[in-house]
Amino acid sequence: MKKLITLTVNDTEYEVAVAPNRTLTQVLREDLNLLGTKEGCGVGDCGACTVVLDGKPVNSCLVLAVQADGSRIKTIEGVAHGDSLHPVQETFVELGAIQCGFCTPGMILSATSLLEKNPHPTEQEVRQALSGNLCRCTGYQKIVEAVQEASRRMKG
Amino acid sequence: MLLLPKFDYEEPKSLPEALAMLSELKGNGKVIAGGTDLLVNMKKGTVRPACLVSLKKVEALREISGEDGGLSVGSHVTISEIADSDRVASTFPVLARSASCLGSPLIRNRATIGGNIVTARPAADLPPALLVLGARVELRGKDKDRTVSLDGFFTGPGTSVIETREVLTRIVIPSPPPFTGADYIKLGHRAALEIAIVAVSSRLTLDKPDGVIVDARVILSSVAPTAIHAVSAEKALMGQRPSEDLFAKAALLAVGDSSPITDIRGGAEYRRDMVNTLVKRTLLKAFNDARDMKGGNA
Amino acid sequence: MKAYNVINTRLPRVDARAKATGDARYTADLSMPNMLYGAMLQSPLAHAKILNIDVTAAKKLPGVRDVVTWKEAGLVKYGVSPARYDEQVFCSDKVRYVGDEIAAVAAVDLETAMEAVSLIKVDYEELPVLLDIESAMAEGAIAIHEDFPGNVSAEVHQEFGNFEEALKECDIVRTDRFTNKRQDGGFLEPQACLAQYDLNGNLTLWSSTQSVHYVQRSIAMVLGLPVGKVRVVKPYVGGGFGPKAAVNAMEIAACLMSKRTGRPVKMLFSREQVFLHSRARHQFFHEFTTGVKKDGTIMALHNTCYLDGGAYSSFGIATIYYAGSLLGAPYRLPNMKYDGYRIYTNKPTCGAQRGHGGVAARAGWEQQLDTIAAELNMDPVEFRLKNMMKTGDVTCNDFNMSSLGMQECLEGVRDGSNWAAKKGKLPRGKGIGVACGFFVSGAGYPIYRSETFHSTATIRLTEDGGGVNLYTASAEIGQGSDTILGQIAAEALGVSLDDVMVHSGDTDFGVDLGAYSSRQTLMSGHAVKMAAEDTKRQVLEALSEQLGVTVGDMDIAGGVVIFKKGKPDFSRLRTLYIKEHRGWEDQPSGAELTFREAARVAFITRGVIIGNGAYKPGELGGKYKGAAVGTSPAYGCSAQVVEVTVDEQTGKVTIDAMTDAHDCGFAINRTNVEGQMQGSLSMGLGEALFEEVRFDAKGRVANASLGEYRIPTALDMPNVKTVIIESDEPNGPFGAKEVGEGAIMPTIPAILNAIYDAVGVRINELPVTSERLFAAMKEKQKK
Repeated sequence: MKKLITLTVNDTEYEVAVAPNRTLTQVLREDLNLLGTKEGCGVGDCGACTVVLDGKPVNSCLVLAVQADGSRIKTIEGVAHGDSLHPVQETFVELGAIQCGFCTPGMILSATSLLEKNPHPTEQEVRQALSGNLCRCTGYQKIVEAVQEASRRMKG
Repeated sequence: MLLLPKFDYEEPKSLPEALAMLSELKGNGKVIAGGTDLLVNMKKGTVRPACLVSLKKVEALREISGEDGGLSVGSHVTISEIADSDRVASTFPVLARSASCLGSPLIRNRATIGGNIVTARPAADLPPALLVLGARVELRGKDKDRTVSLDGFFTGPGTSVIETREVLTRIVIPSPPPFTGADYIKLGHRAALEIAIVAVSSRLTLDKPDGVIVDARVILSSVAPTAIHAVSAEKALMGQRPSEDLFAKAALLAVGDSSPITDIRGGAEYRRDMVNTLVKRTLLKAFNDARDMKGGNA
Repeated sequence: MKAYNVINTRLPRVDARAKATGDARYTADLSMPNMLYGAMLQSPLAHAKILNIDVTAAKKLPGVRDVVTWKEAGLVKYGVSPARYDEQVFCSDKVRYVGDEIAAVAAVDLETAMEAVSLIKVDYEELPVLLDIESAMAEGAIAIHEDFPGNVSAEVHQEFGNFEEALKECDIVRTDRFTNKRQDGGFLEPQACLAQYDLNGNLTLWSSTQSVHYVQRSIAMVLGLPVGKVRVVKPYVGGGFGPKAAVNAMEIAACLMSKRTGRPVKMLFSREQVFLHSRARHQFFHEFTTGVKKDGTIMALHNTCYLDGGAYSSFGIATIYYAGSLLGAPYRLPNMKYDGYRIYTNKPTCGAQRGHGGVAARAGWEQQLDTIAAELNMDPVEFRLKNMMKTGDVTCNDFNMSSLGMQECLEGVRDGSNWAAKKGKLPRGKGIGVACGFFVSGAGYPIYRSETFHSTATIRLTEDGGGVNLYTASAEIGQGSDTILGQIAAEALGVSLDDVMVHSGDTDFGVDLGAYSSRQTLMSGHAVKMAAEDTKRQVLEALSEQLGVTVGDMDIAGGVVIFKKGKPDFSRLRTLYIKEHRGWEDQPSGAELTFREAARVAFITRGVIIGNGAYKPGELGGKYKGAAVGTSPAYGCSAQVVEVTVDEQTGKVTIDAMTDAHDCGFAINRTNVEGQMQGSLSMGLGEALFEEVRFDAKGRVANASLGEYRIPTALDMPNVKTVIIESDEPNGPFGAKEVGEGAIMPTIPAILNAIYDAVGVRINELPVTSERLFAAMKEKQKK
């Protein structure tokens, strides 16, 4: 039986009727048409489906939508403010941290969550924070550099 | 794309309501906490509960508090809350360390300490540290409650003494004696997103900084159907003056206590060799901490 | 060096903003009204006769719209190389691996489609399962394909020079063996597709592919449609690395079911299905016998290789040749003999993956060369410098090194890593190692025998002169080809990258063989450059008629017209433009005639300005059998130094530092070149230390997940010191050649050589897990 749930996604409140067996990834993508959240494995091994749930980055493929009832969720679509990119997005673009882009939404959400908690992370702390988000294209170096550069820019 | 099978979902407002519900479901219900293990198994079709019961509305399960110099941790406290908790770090750093080894930051933000215990996976990260710390778990049922030692909780891979109508609500860790130190080392292939090939947790308590060992606990993980005590190693350490030779001897005995199998993560022979290495290393670190700390901290 | 405005810069990728904001659409993000979902039934058995397929129950399930098996799909054979078309969309007589496709269902939603799949009943008669080369080649082994008794899917025997004769001159002759493990592409986006067959009989397929062209041809052939009725479109692709370079059964099934139902059909692979489909790196068993003179001159190599191919051929015919031919450089090797055997087994099919065919060969041989250098008491860098090729050298198998910055690469990593201060001077447990490699810049010949152009490009200027539309069927799969081609178009036309709109990955935009064999920059780049030059010529010709200045005295650069012999009065043209754009606020002004104005003049006088480019390499390479594989218009090369720490009590290897120099000819985009280098090294690190697809006794993949098939995490991969070498390739557009695949070549052997330096053991089998290294060290201690 479907349940009526309330999700506050990127500061907009949605009421959705969902079957209990649907994951947060599915509901974000299929019901709310927020297609920036990707599914790479479905079992928490890759991090492509990362969203920020009540302030913490999680694998949305391992969260039931009904479990998220009443939660605040940020997806990649909620990171920029209108036309102006978040500093992390800016540095990802400028420093070549993006190749195929499939891991990018999750990476950016893990990175922005890190910088909120720890505005001046060391390289090792950045790598730790991104260690649940797999990237096959970049070798991570430019991603790590972009996060560190964003941290410097956000200082000012 | 992997889909979940159909099931019902309930969110009882209180623990008694949850216990009544589970009792009524007679084994067709399953508690979902973080879901990082359960949902994977459900997607793969290895478990098919008819109803998932979420305890997210039971606030009390998400508290960490001090208790007589020890610690009480609600079963729904997440692994990252444990890894990041100042209270945990200052009283039981070995627990924080083992928590920070689990999966990835994304998994740690969902997975719970209770889930990591109840799933009873032979390679689970928290049980070794909890075992050396002498943790007890509180199990609540509709008609009876009980508190059992984590020693004896696990009965095999994926099985434990918990009954389908029971809920693990709290983990209680007793106050550590003075001059106690502990360590946890996990050996995996990658630096994250790993399940242990072998993991070892050890704890030593000295009678005084340069004294003899009055309590020794060595837990081996991923080398037996459940996390186990290296009983003969522990026995050999007791009453002895710590030294690298002693630790080497204990490590060899620990190898004999283990019964690893060859599986996709590693071979039995390698696992035995790693028991040797990791027992030595964890004992050395435990000893150094026990000696350096003026007491209390493990 | 010439000064450029757009290329050789660090401009951000043209798709970066879309990807950073979640706006970029991948195939799984697409949907259409009235769309059906498809799912496939794949064999649970590795080898079995199909006795009967019963789809009755599946068809009856409410919501099911179509169920297809071989009866509906037909028995047309397809594959990658026409010499080995050995696949069918659906199995008819037997299944050959766990995952072989048997049937597909289209239904109103995915749950229903999957449920219907589970209702299809297949009766099998199990056959002996051949999971390794030994059992597949054993006397009397059952033939996996009837036409190939002995299960040899392909065999190659080549000799250049005279190996046996050359050995007589050698002072050191060594034989070593090496094997890697079957790999997975590990791209983050599982394959997906969406097919739509319209009322006019036109079929459009959106798919996560590396080659819209090959997919288009395969689908047309299998479904019996004219090529012109099949359009294949590639949305953004989340990585490919080789396995997405050919058509898959899911794509054909989706097209077939859309044709039958008249409704769009969408299908997705789960991560497990990615592993079952595979088409990734083979397992190679190499044996190298190498002869060297005591002065360190490499004289001869005999390379024998057995490839575990899996159930079908895929790219394997090319793979087996590459496994031999790619040792022809970058060292002068006058005598090379190669014997290769690709064997069918009851496992998922292997194909192409980054560094196609050459990665294991390179790893094994570079390790052997290191051993030989030690026996000669020569520094490994010196040994390599002594033997390396130079620009203009031709290999014994007729590859022309039209540019080769091998020396610069070696010196770059030697100096960049501070080699001299470290080699032989590190404490026990720490080590440093070096290796080299080279790779093609695009296969010299298409995978099917043809006179086709390899890449075409079209540029259409907008009528207001404000925009440059570039149309190419090339495949942006994450490697950055849209950006590179946009930059080439902008530079060659004389405008900025912002003025260029890149439209790619669509068979409606032309012919392009796609993203494989590191060909997009050189081959598509040539076509784009030609199209841009054609466009520029037309604009200048139109301008010439208006201004009376000869075309040769004009150019376009930086968005304005350059008059080489004094500026004529162009005020009439400007006034015209301004009058046409009354009310606009961005009217042209200033002393220069803008490209916009010039392009507008061209449109008004000539109609739509369309520039065309088409590229194919000329006659290349040798005439011997198999000469087509490995032959390329240009070759990139690279050298790497890796530093490691080995924990001797656990066998765990930590990669501390990597220094990589790559000769890409000319860097169109320096950031992208570094990105390819770093990404290649990361994949190489994974293959060296972690990656291995494993099977259980019944031929099922035992680790079909990204949890148990381990690609490196951010904590496993160190930073790489990158050194870009530019040798100015005469056959490349603006001197550019490959970087995307060649950069992986030295990684594994550099790691192996560093491990040897650290602890004195040679590992001849990948991956170097802590267990394997620990066992090797233990073994050594016993001796």
